[in-house]
Amino acid sequence: MTAAYPPERHLLRDLRLAFEHGDDGTSRARFPVVPEVCGASGSVGIGAVAVLVDVIGGGLAALAARPDWIATADLTLHLTRAVRDGHVEARASVLRAGRTTVVIEVGLRDAREQEVGVATMSFSVLPRRDSNLDVGGMRASGWTTMADARSRLHAPLLDELGLTVVDPHAGVVEVPMLDWSRNSMGAMQGGAVGAVAAAAAEVACNARAGGALVATDLQLTYLAFGKVGPIRTRADVTACDDGRAVAQVELVDAGGESRRTAVARVVATRPLP
Amino acid sequence: MTGRGFSPAPDGRDVMRYVRVEMREVAELVLEGRAPAGDHLRGPDGGVRAGVLLTLLDTVGGLCGGLAALPDGWVMSTNLAARTVTRAHTGPLRVGATVARRGRSNVVTSVEIRDDGAGGALVMHGVLTSAILLPENGPPHWERPLHLPAPEPTGPAPGVEEWIGLRRVDGRTVEIDVTDGLRNPWGVLHGGVVATLVDAAAAHGAGGTTTDVVLHFLAPNRTGPVRAHTRVVGERSDGRVVRVELRDEGHGGRVTAVAVATVTPG
Repeated sequence: MTAAYPPERHLLRDLRLAFEHGDDGTSRARFPVVPEVCGASGSVGIGAVAVLVDVIGGGLAALAARPDWIATADLTLHLTRAVRDGHVEARASVLRAGRTTVVIEVGLRDAREQEVGVATMSFSVLPRRDSNLDVGGMRASGWTTMADARSRLHAPLLDELGLTVVDPHAGVVEVPMLDWSRNSMGAMQGGAVGAVAAAAAEVACNARAGGALVATDLQLTYLAFGKVGPIRTRADVTACDDGRAVAQVELVDAGGESRRTAVARVVATRPLP
Repeated sequence: MTGRGFSPAPDGRDVMRYVRVEMREVAELVLEGRAPAGDHLRGPDGGVRAGVLLTLLDTVGGLCGGLAALPDGWVMSTNLAARTVTRAHTGPLRVGATVARRGRSNVVTSVEIRDDGAGGALVMHGVLTSAILLPENGPPHWERPLHLPAPEPTGPAPGVEEWIGLRRVDGRTVEIDVTDGLRNPWGVLHGGVVATLVDAAAAHGAGGTTTDVVLHFLAPNRTGPVRAHTRVVGERSDGRVVRVELRDEGHGGRVTAVAVATVTPG
């Protein structure tokens, strides 16, 4: 990591993420369950898990692509069981490390070793630039963390991101670009993008369904960096029946000529068991 | 990046013939496909199988991505992700594909499938990502705007499982052979056939109808048999979430694809 990233107060510190990179080509990361990462149903929200997946998947992909660098192409996340205490742990492994793409699979477990979901990510391999992070030192043994004694969320994750709901029926939410949620390239952190997309879909699905649905399944395709902000969404609920609603979400960088930065397809279900 | 030789015809036409899709470039880099919702394409719940819808997504989206890749190369699917919106289909189906992003090494296409027999109701939406490769014999040449009529059927079409030659190995595993009629223009198992195998495996392993699929193509299926093994990750109010892993058993058992699917009971 460079000295400048992440800054003293940052999403990756305040989630109190801890990492362990093995010598066998796998990596693990986890965060403790606190009320600020939980949704209205009382279990960990998909947004916090998306950040976890993005961080560990991106780190492992960067190692797999060395000496080249990577750009995240997509992230998918399926939650199957509620987590209400302990921690959420992500275990990442490389499915493919080719000349042009890296594909990562992430298994998700709770503190009782129960499987709580599965995720995948794919990355384009790019020539390394001087500004890219040096991940060579990530192979340290044992658990490490970027958090310090002061690191913690002071409000629910979506509030920390600055998310405001503009029009729930149209799934319009806005999020400012904060240093707190930027990645090392100066754009919104990929998992945070997932959190925003899922939140927009959840708002729209519940506006249609009358509440009680939770985003549990995310397919996110990254198209361009969002660097200016605010990031604005629009969600189209394409299906809504008993126990399942589907939304298509588009994210644009409203301050960056409304450039489309990502598209997502989100499923909201009744709260997980 | 250089790939193996590419032959637009006749390889891959058999898959187009089976799903009877006609494709037309209706505006620059905007592809529209039309296909009947034939009885042979339907599953036990009466709707067109998710594997067939994914085949249409891969075929039309792939062609759209390929045109966007010209003149630098042609494309090979690397992953697709799609969600089913409605499971009752009248047909004919209309498949719309547009370019969401054209990068140096890949193309992302957005694809929507609509039911023209049901007032244009949305059936499936998804995204196909394809790598840009340079075939050994150069990229294909097409007359633009492109129009590919559906190949004429050669006889009555079998059901989907018979078409791909599906065999049930055990309660969680199915397999198929890599026959010439199932190959794509690159000479390997067609992406739509891979998706159809994933659909069949997920439905077999979890019991029900596949709705949503995320599929990563990791390596080509060249030899076969290709075996698909399923594992249920968990259960939600919308069905079971299933992981599917494909291996080319005739090619050292290498993993060729990994998918996560949602299977709705019934």
